[in-house]
Amino acid sequence: MKRSKGKINVSEKDFVFEFKAGRQQCVLKIPLQFPVQDNINDLFGRFILLHKIPCFVENDLKTSLSNFIERETNENYDRISEQALHSLMNGEVDVGELTNVWAKAYCETTLEHSHPEEPSWDEDFADVYHELIHSPASDTLLNLEHSYYLNISELISERDMELKKLQERQAAEMDTVMQELGKMFSDHDVNAVASQHFDAQQVLESKWATELKQLTGIQKQEYQEWVIKLHRDLKNPNNSTINEEIKVQTSQLSEAPESSSCHYEEQRQLEESFTIHLGAQLKTMHNLRLVRGDVLELCKHRRHGSSGVKLLRLQTALSLYSSSLCGLVLLVDNRVNSYSGIKRDFATVSMECTDFHFPRLEEQLDIVQQVVLYARAQQSSKQREQPDTLEQPRPGGAEDKNKTVDRNPANILPGEFYITRHSNLSEVHVVFHLCVDDNVRSGNITARDPAIMGLRNILKVCCTHDITTITIPLLLVHDMSEEMTIPWCLKRAELVFKCVKGFMMEMASWDGGISRTVQFLVPQSISEEMFYQLSNMLPQIFRVSSTLTLTSKR
Amino acid sequence: MKPLRDALLGAFTFFASPLPHDVCGSNGLPLTPNSIKILGRFQVLKTICHPRLCQYVDISRGKHERLVVVAEHYENNLMNFHKLCKPVSPDRALQIAYEILEGLEFMNNHGMVHRALCPQNVLLDCEGNVKLAKFGFYHMTDGGADVDFPIGYASYLAPEVIAQGPVHSSGSFQSKTPCLSGPKTDVWSLGILLFELCVGRRLWHNIENSECFKFILNLGCMDDIVTVLAEEHGCLEVIKELPENLLTLLRKCLMFFPSKRPTPVQLLGEPVFGHISGLTEHFHQPISLFSSGLRSAHLQLPDDITSLCKDEGKDYLSERAIDEVYYLWCLAGGDLEKELINKDIIRSKPSICTLSKLILDDGQSFGQGRDRSFLLDDSTVTLSLCQLKNRLKDVAGEAYYPLLEDEQSNLPQSNSSSELSSTVSLPLIIRERDTEYQLMRIVLFDRLLKAYPYKKNHIWKEARVDIPPLFRGLVWAALLGVEGDIQAKYNGIDKDTPIPTDRQIEVDIPRCHQYDELLSSPQGHVKFRRVLKAWVVSHPDLVYWQGLDSLCAPFLYLNFNNEALAYACMSAFIPKYLYNFFLKDNSHVIQEYLTVFSQMIAFHDPELSNHLNEIGFIPDLYAIPWFLTMFTHVFPLHKIFHLWDTLLLGNSSFPFCIGVAILQQLRDRLLANGFNECILLFSDLPEIDIERCVRESINLFCWTPKSATYRQHAQSPKTTGDGSSNSSSSFDRTNIYLYSDYQDFPKTDLSREPLRLSELKAELSPRISAEDLIDLCELRGSSHFKTPNKRAKVGKPKILAVDIRSPEDFNRGHISGSINIPYTPSFGADGEPVVFPAVTTLSAYRGRLIVVLSNMVKNAVMFATQLVKMNYPRVCVLDGGINKMKVTGLLTVPSPQI
Repeated sequence: MKRSKGKINVSEKDFVFEFKAGRQQCVLKIPLQFPVQDNINDLFGRFILLHKIPCFVENDLKTSLSNFIERETNENYDRISEQALHSLMNGEVDVGELTNVWAKAYCETTLEHSHPEEPSWDEDFADVYHELIHSPASDTLLNLEHSYYLNISELISERDMELKKLQERQAAEMDTVMQELGKMFSDHDVNAVASQHFDAQQVLESKWATELKQLTGIQKQEYQEWVIKLHRDLKNPNNSTINEEIKVQTSQLSEAPESSSCHYEEQRQLEESFTIHLGAQLKTMHNLRLVRGDVLELCKHRRHGSSGVKLLRLQTALSLYSSSLCGLVLLVDNRVNSYSGIKRDFATVSMECTDFHFPRLEEQLDIVQQVVLYARAQQSSKQREQPDTLEQPRPGGAEDKNKTVDRNPANILPGEFYITRHSNLSEVHVVFHLCVDDNVRSGNITARDPAIMGLRNILKVCCTHDITTITIPLLLVHDMSEEMTIPWCLKRAELVFKCVKGFMMEMASWDGGISRTVQFLVPQSISEEMFYQLSNMLPQIFRVSSTLTLTSKR
Repeated sequence: MKPLRDALLGAFTFFASPLPHDVCGSNGLPLTPNSIKILGRFQVLKTICHPRLCQYVDISRGKHERLVVVAEHYENNLMNFHKLCKPVSPDRALQIAYEILEGLEFMNNHGMVHRALCPQNVLLDCEGNVKLAKFGFYHMTDGGADVDFPIGYASYLAPEVIAQGPVHSSGSFQSKTPCLSGPKTDVWSLGILLFELCVGRRLWHNIENSECFKFILNLGCMDDIVTVLAEEHGCLEVIKELPENLLTLLRKCLMFFPSKRPTPVQLLGEPVFGHISGLTEHFHQPISLFSSGLRSAHLQLPDDITSLCKDEGKDYLSERAIDEVYYLWCLAGGDLEKELINKDIIRSKPSICTLSKLILDDGQSFGQGRDRSFLLDDSTVTLSLCQLKNRLKDVAGEAYYPLLEDEQSNLPQSNSSSELSSTVSLPLIIRERDTEYQLMRIVLFDRLLKAYPYKKNHIWKEARVDIPPLFRGLVWAALLGVEGDIQAKYNGIDKDTPIPTDRQIEVDIPRCHQYDELLSSPQGHVKFRRVLKAWVVSHPDLVYWQGLDSLCAPFLYLNFNNEALAYACMSAFIPKYLYNFFLKDNSHVIQEYLTVFSQMIAFHDPELSNHLNEIGFIPDLYAIPWFLTMFTHVFPLHKIFHLWDTLLLGNSSFPFCIGVAILQQLRDRLLANGFNECILLFSDLPEIDIERCVRESINLFCWTPKSATYRQHAQSPKTTGDGSSNSSSSFDRTNIYLYSDYQDFPKTDLSREPLRLSELKAELSPRISAEDLIDLCELRGSSHFKTPNKRAKVGKPKILAVDIRSPEDFNRGHISGSINIPYTPSFGADGEPVVFPAVTTLSAYRGRLIVVLSNMVKNAVMFATQLVKMNYPRVCVLDGGINKMKVTGLLTVPSPQI
């Protein structure tokens, strides 16, 4: 793995050593390559051995050899350096360009020469928040967040109510129209009514959307200002009013618990945990968990009240800017938006509470969309530069893919994923939106499937960005359908288990062996029996560590 | 390493270049991260000790390719002169120049160049002597190839360095191969440095870097660079007033073309330094522990010996070596990253803020902003020793200078030492993290090792307590009896000429303990290859078997900077524990070994043995890698260390006990499972509690009669004149008995006789020799046998001799204390031996060491087998039967009343 040293720098010189043995005049001549790669001692030892040098000249030989090597090495250095200097003076190399390259090298890599950083508000806020949430003020913060959350949910329920009313009214209207169809109204009229309804609905929805957006905007600003102020005041020790304020708020906001959230916990009761050790000699401990539940349950913000919800929320808030983040893999289609399916559901959930730290999901997706376009442009320019790479066979049919890209560069491909960050989800900070195609519904995907390779890249990001808990949909689907039979499930689970195990073994070389938690999520709709079959499969694939016996036998 | 004295510990940090996503090397394996490459190349710097160079102490890897380097440090540096803004006197300047050159020369002799010379890196100790810092930066980063930033400081770069272009550059400079710099580049930097000192101002101080480079490159067209520089910076008058010799020196340093510029060695010989070099003492490298030279040959006592004793109230800690102090600093809760974060050198953003937006299927990421926290800030932070000093404030001064001569010291023990003796009983893991305790052990072992081999026995004695991790490499070498000029021997072995084994070695090394940073570094691979080749070449009768690489790993890890010692330890270890295991045809050795091992399982754990035999799970299926690599293939390095700390104290039969101890930890699972599950279990061995394993194997070892593990293919008795027998005069005799091999004793008629392999395999229980029986039953008075009384009292196993001859024979003469259970083999209808009722009488003695005596060995073996089948532990058979005892005259006839 040695850096290839160019041929020009290598030269061969003969080392000549003369000595007398009795009356014989001996000459030792050895060709040496410069720069000398070997240790002088080894070289010397080899000479003695190879040429059967008498021991009485050993010391002379050694001095003369090391002098020779030193001299020649220095000459070699001189030669190379002067080559460079001469080519500069001949004008072969442009001085201006050279000095610019140097200046750039310093400027981009050293703090001393780099351009000063513009202060980033986000990071300052991150520091402030991280400090506050780890102080007694954390309770106040959470309560404040919760009260904002209640405001939002009030608004949302109002919206839902109004939408529902509208829909009911429209349905009634449509009914009457339908009854009179053919009599008073023609098909044309029906269509007109339908489109009119649709428009009305759109108008209403967008009205509420703006309102919601406005409210979250206000909330976010208020919240951030308040946090900064609180921090400033806490810094100032003789300001006691703020402490009282914290107390007052605490008492105000610890209102009576509401009991609406109990059923959530009941649904998630099916879960099983395992502790495993991975690695041949050095073993790393990891925690695995198999959970049956809906993927959005991990995201949904719940009302404080029932025991644990607030603690869970606190836990998520505490670790937001820490080095133990929680991630979630969401399987999406190839378009970067939130209009349909699980994407829409997720967007709804993420809207239920204001994100006080990161941009709204829509804004994040807009940025992702731009990055996708930029990445495609980069890719194609690279391909144009190196057309030969195209000929290399890529797994999964590169040509097909390229065609798709040509068709719509804004879409992403299976196996690629985009990342969004959230502070307002209940147990998750980072969401990996992994693109999968209909292939995952079929029974015959392999370990080389883009979705699986995507999982590997996700785990790699987990290593580089301190995501210590990651939730993966075990069957690579969020909902069950008819073609997903029991053998299908078992086969899929085995594949994902085995691949993830392989990636986790690899992980030790990425991050030096850090203990992680991997949650495998299976859809709510699978049977209990199926769940236990899967939980039996897990310890067969991963080596579950032996239980610690506390009682000694002897 | 040299003592800390008034030096400080400093740390600085930088990032290695990250690797591109998922790129593989030419061998198909993932590339080594650059930080690991640097870590490997760094190691040699620890061995570079010179009074003009700051001693490197340690390097550690953090997250995301961060490296933190710890080195000797001083707060003062040449920048102090610049803060005064006035020229330094010519004499002082010459003195500084000379000292810098001394440092540079020493480095050059070790094949290194500084390349980052600048006022900040020329430190000054309390006496104003020069100490060069960061001198290994260029070396450890492989000429800057493993880091993103350029090495060196803009205004001090030599013109040829600039002309060659930065190592990482794009565009037209990319095609050129990076060129390494020679020693003369430092001479240019020294010239600039001196110039600045002489004129009292900095060159190109407030100028853009690119302008500065342009200026330097244009100097090539000038005749008198010194004058041009002086004119440019408006200090021509100052320069003109300088003494002529200093000006000549400056001119020589600031030669534009390297061929005209002298090297540091040449400069040191210049007449300008004539009077300085006469005054300074020349540095001699201290003689290493293993060399042909006399270590104390140059020892000189001061004329007035009392001057040595008057350091009252001195800081004893600072007299310890730098690496020891750093080691203790870490134990006392030192945290490098925290120190650097406190000083705002490490400014990491929360990870959630640095996530990228999009990852493509090939792992390329997009939308990640440039993170400023990855930029180089190489300022050095002083590590505060307060916490350590506070921790050690109660340690008495005497503790730093223990007396070695009278071993049974009757001196009143101070409080701290009595506390320490209670520490000894704590688990090893805790002891290894106890600052005071480690200080004591380090001080003690340091002294003992300095007196090696004279203090060899004392080292053995202390090693039985524990071995301080810091000195493990040397202590192991001492335990293995490594002596003499190992370096010369190692140099004499041809490690370069290709041999047929090369390919296999090349394949094995990248798969051997690669989780470890040192062993996975390219430097580690090179050293691995050299040590392995040296061993293969120097042992023509033995061959390379896969597993030798694992065996080499612990020695290489512990002696990373001393290949010769690693080689010597390995060469001493293999004949002791793995005699002839590496023969080209080693099957007879291994087969015998495994058979004895299965006998040991039956001896210690008959229930498990019965189960394993029943399902056919024989040691051949799992234990070969255990013994062939002495467990190094099975365990991670940190566990191997603790295991071998004890293994090295035991004899060649100790590994059997370790094997049994491992099986016992898995006992429940093995008993509960069939063949397939057992195979699966061992293919990925579960975590083994190594401390328990060591404890149990010592216990098993004590229960095992010496001759039970007799192997005819073991190493033959050592010839007299060998180290161990030489030293036996001073060696207390218990040690010989406990820790030397059975084979080491002179062979007598009463010893065991070799058995054919097929015979050995047929026997379930081990045989023991008549000698052992006599010893265990204490048949002879302690007076004329070599077993000392002391040993007899401590934990000798309780023994029961079972005589299975007929009562008549028994009455004619038997061993005192033996019981008679007449036995003639009888078989039931199904061909199985019939269980006879008399055996039940034995149940009262279950747990004792049962020796079966007979005049027909075959009967005794069958009897023993039955006992094992009935789960009687510790059953063995007297080799040669009762007839062997007859000749000793130790048989007694019962008194008539019975």
